[in-house]
Amino acid sequence: MTAGLVAVFFVAGAMVAVGVFGAAWRRDLSAAVATIPLMFAGAGIAFAGVARFAAAGGAGGSHLLGQEFAVLLAVAAVALVALGLGIAGREGNR
Amino acid sequence: MDSLHAIGFYVSSGVLLIGALGVALLPRRGLRGAALAVSGLGLAGVYYSLSAGFAGAVAFVCYAGCALMVAGPQYRTVEAVAGSAWRQLGAIGAAMLLAVLAFSTFRGDFVSATFKGGPFDAVALGRLLFVHDVVATEAVALLGLLAIAGAAAAWRLRERAR
Repeated sequence: MTAGLVAVFFVAGAMVAVGVFGAAWRRDLSAAVATIPLMFAGAGIAFAGVARFAAAGGAGGSHLLGQEFAVLLAVAAVALVALGLGIAGREGNR
Repeated sequence: MDSLHAIGFYVSSGVLLIGALGVALLPRRGLRGAALAVSGLGLAGVYYSLSAGFAGAVAFVCYAGCALMVAGPQYRTVEAVAGSAWRQLGAIGAAMLLAVLAFSTFRGDFVSATFKGGPFDAVALGRLLFVHDVVATEAVALLGLLAIAGAAAAWRLRERAR
């Protein structure tokens, strides 16, 4: 059994599509905000997969650029969820 | 990628996609938060099987934070003004996006190369983040700071207005 870049891209594409679906389908904006990390996860998986399978190895750390971008995307996802929920406002349980 | 890593990749991908579907479809915020935590666990597994252990650790912490925020009871429900027709168009658009991405994936021609990093190359990645691409790292840090400060300001303004 093996997994190649095609499988990685398929998972990444599915994550982006599920995130877009959730953002479009959810009527509640604060629930739609929760799907932002899913789209970012799809992008991060694609970057990490390219870094793993298709990077030009040995060029001074360039094989890690995809991983670096995946880390930055994860941090940005937290920031955007915090901002979205903050803008949605905090109230008691409804 | 050897068999063990491939099995880990497929199992983690399944966990990730199940969690993602839970975030998109589950009705209550606590369940959505739990599903987001599950998807963070799956994402960390996918990253680890792609020899990106450090990115997996960071992603797990970040997604656990997202799950805590999403599951928290202290934000209100805001109903969107878009009608159901637009929502259904968006869902159809998401399905078409999946089809286009899958088609381009299967039709694509990829160059493969040997990966020379270790499974958890935190030192090299840290050097890349804080030396080579420090401007991008600082920019994302600034975005995070502004987002959290903006969230706190928006919350306080709303509390004051009530």
